[in-house]
Amino acid sequence: MTRAQRSLYIWLGLAAVLIAFPLLAPVLPLQPTIGMDIPHRFAGPSAANWLGNDEYGRDVLSRIIWGARASLAVAFGSAFCAAVIGTILGLLGGYFRGITEVLAVRSTEIVICLPPLLLAMLVITILGAGVLTLTVALTILFVPNYTRVVYAATLQTGGLDFVKAQEAMGTHPLKILARTVLPNIVPPLLVQFSLTVASGILLESGLSFLGLGVVPPAPSWGLMIRAARAAMDQQPLLLLWPSLALAGTVLLLNVICDRLQDVLSPKTAARGGAAWLRRQIKRTPDAPAPEVPLLKIEDLSVGVALEQGSMGLTKGIAFEVKPGETMALVGESGSGKTLTGLAMTGLLPNALSVTGGHAWFRTEAGVVDLAALTEEEFGPLRGNDISMVFQDAAAALNPVHRIGDQLAEIIQCHRPMPKQQAEAEVVELLRKVGIPDPERRIRAYPFELSGGQRQRAMIAMAVANAPKLLIADEPTTALDPTIQAQILRLFAKLKEDNPGMGVIFVTHNLAVVKEIATHVSVMYAGQVVEQGTVEEVFADPRHPYTKALLASVPESDAERLESIPGTVPQPGAMPEGCRFAPRCGHAAAACAAPQPLLDTGEGRTTRCLRWADLWKDVA
Amino acid sequence: MLRYVALRVLIALVLVWLVSTLVFLVLHLVPGDPAELLLSAGNTAPDPEAVAQLRSQMGLDRPVLAQYAAYIADLTHLDFGVSLRDQNPIAPELALRLPRTLELILAAAVIASLIGVPLGTLAAMRDGGWSEKLVSLLASAALSTPVFVVGTTLVLVFAQWLGWISAGGYVPLAEDPLRHLSLLAMPAVTIALPLTAVMIRMTRASVLEVLEKDHVRTARAKGLARGPIIRRHVVRNALVPVITVLGLEMGTLIGGTVLVEYVFNWPGLSGYLVRAVEARDYPEVVGIVLVISFLFVLLNLLIDITYAVLDPRVKLAK
Ligand code: SF4
Repeated sequence: MTRAQRSLYIWLGLAAVLIAFPLLAPVLPLQPTIGMDIPHRFAGPSAANWLGNDEYGRDVLSRIIWGARASLAVAFGSAFCAAVIGTILGLLGGYFRGITEVLAVRSTEIVICLPPLLLAMLVITILGAGVLTLTVALTILFVPNYTRVVYAATLQTGGLDFVKAQEAMGTHPLKILARTVLPNIVPPLLVQFSLTVASGILLESGLSFLGLGVVPPAPSWGLMIRAARAAMDQQPLLLLWPSLALAGTVLLLNVICDRLQDVLSPKTAARGGAAWLRRQIKRTPDAPAPEVPLLKIEDLSVGVALEQGSMGLTKGIAFEVKPGETMALVGESGSGKTLTGLAMTGLLPNALSVTGGHAWFRTEAGVVDLAALTEEEFGPLRGNDISMVFQDAAAALNPVHRIGDQLAEIIQCHRPMPKQQAEAEVVELLRKVGIPDPERRIRAYPFELSGGQRQRAMIAMAVANAPKLLIADEPTTALDPTIQAQILRLFAKLKEDNPGMGVIFVTHNLAVVKEIATHVSVMYAGQVVEQGTVEEVFADPRHPYTKALLASVPESDAERLESIPGTVPQPGAMPEGCRFAPRCGHAAAACAAPQPLLDTGEGRTTRCLRWADLWKDVA
Repeated sequence: MLRYVALRVLIALVLVWLVSTLVFLVLHLVPGDPAELLLSAGNTAPDPEAVAQLRSQMGLDRPVLAQYAAYIADLTHLDFGVSLRDQNPIAPELALRLPRTLELILAAAVIASLIGVPLGTLAAMRDGGWSEKLVSLLASAALSTPVFVVGTTLVLVFAQWLGWISAGGYVPLAEDPLRHLSLLAMPAVTIALPLTAVMIRMTRASVLEVLEKDHVRTARAKGLARGPIIRRHVVRNALVPVITVLGLEMGTLIGGTVLVEYVFNWPGLSGYLVRAVEARDYPEVVGIVLVISFLFVLLNLLIDITYAVLDPRVKLAK
């Protein structure tokens, strides 16, 4: 039994105990609910009358228990009748569609346009007050809720294969409905039922309170509150008891409904909200900052926090970017290249965090460790010294703000200036990234731009404050080939305009690497496996994985490499030794030990201990 | 935008017509003779003479279609007929009381938004923390306590015990603005309470969803501080679904108004309605129910338009 189920049963049990009182009222030793006992008017709680006596001297406790019968009878009665009628209408409408659908489903929806209490009052005007009238009125009110829920569920189940199969076998439609569809709509019906019972109790007591529901002297919570209101200066406690009973019952029903929903559709989303909103403890650096020209990543690891502990996703990433260089991080999806980019800017998704290593970065104020900054400390750096271009510009731009405002925001955030001046700068920026008619385009919303233009706007945003380091995460992947080529040319042009800017370009596309990057780090299963200049790595790969990558149609745009047999190992099941070993044609006994990144001279590294042998093979 | 608004207005008009038809049908769908039903009380059969008189008075002796045509024709120039009790025309009474009810609803909606949205946002930002648990608990309690219990308790505490404000009543704004507002406060707060709870729950869910969106990460990548991110890129986007729910909740809200006006003696539509239902004055009840339902449709129309202003994509879709 899960926690959610246990919780539901506890609440249901409590409800059952409470319901037992009104159900057993006739056999409980309760005092009479009608009649008068003038000497005991407004008497407070006593041994004989635990909750005291009301304005006629009647026992409050027994009136509350008997009053529950009225509320529950009306609420359960109308919820049940409405469930039966609504289910039938919803089933018919959802299963047979066409004209039945219009008659059964659409017609009931008009009822929803009428405020619930009003419809009930209309019915009461015609039929006169009383328990029966109330039940009729509430039934009419609740039918549409059930019809809608059942209709939606029936549409879903109706399309399922096993229903279709029965249809094909010539089973009578009514039998199909009863046997296969009905059981499937039970969960939403249960939720609806608990909702309508709560709402029925509220409406019944409300109408009785107005004097339009249960007819006195029969007890009802609404009537008791009505009477207590008139006498509240004499005995305020009389107001308390029925109010508590009423609010408590509705609260109980609402809690049961919530628990029911938890059990029926368990929420998968992790609780805890956004990690970046939580207070972060400032970390003291555990190593002195080295002198770095721009960026030096040392032994950086990212892990995901799980219930069983943390699981490593990337391990020991290391590379360096000097001003003016473009480092390509290349690998299949799942290699950890995007995570590495996000870790450097503190933008990792909620459950993920940096578990070790450093990312030294030179700022005006000296060298800082990007892997140890808090959200506050990141503020002045992000969008100013380091900026990012994301893969999916359509999602990365805020849909409800104009392009111009979103760009002006990043400028004004780091360089406060009047709105007009920022706007002029935005127009210039958009012109620079090749968006036609920028004076008008700044008024446009993201959805009004083409995919290519959105990515251009995204890039304009990233270079708005002339960053020292630009991290581009698959910026061309979502675009079609002609646009891709244009965007790559744009990056090259921006590089010319700002020659000191370092770029990290995350991609899976080797053709893109060749066109845009000066250096490359090949990533596999969360590790860097080979590094060097683009020219040298492409001409002379020193890791079997790189070699296979280059061999497998460099022009191809596939996210996964089909031409290398086997698959990338899952994060939880990494081989002890070389992570590429299961797919490597050159694997030897020594490969079963963990592989360090080996220096192969000329500033190049590889994570393959057999690289020299293999190199000789080629030579 | 203009086309969108025109379409929404058209839909609203169709809804008004459908609701009017439904209200007309209720009397005729209930089994039994309408005039007899309206005069019946308990098990005693009504006086046949009175039944005949009521029948001719309400035009029930004409064919149903003719009745319907006359009913709709009257409605098009806002003629709601005359009361059965005193033969007074109903429309002027409605016109007098409608603004007072409207004022209550608007005040409650403003209070609920001003409290519900920030608290809901807070609950989402502190998801799982003690402040979120406290806010959620308060919201559940507010949703489970009927408005008339809340109203009566407020009267007991603030009027009877503390004596800060009078228990209820109404003074026109022009006569004494301060007193008008002080009398408005308690009923408005009472109606606002459950609505605030709904706003809190919705805002929380909606903010949690928006926080997961890519554009929030972009906002962080820009280097914006928490405040502007939450205001401009989270709450602003989260409001769109919240507004929709506000529209759906209007029905319950307006229903709640009936009880609250009664508790605080606020001379809006509901005191009138309660008396009309007690007297079983059918034309009056129909008039009030129709006016409130039209109001409901109108408010939803306004919400649809707000929706389009908040989310530019809406204008093009649908
Ligand atoms: S270390 Fe061994 S298994 Fe790994 S890539 Fe080199 S040869 Fe292949």
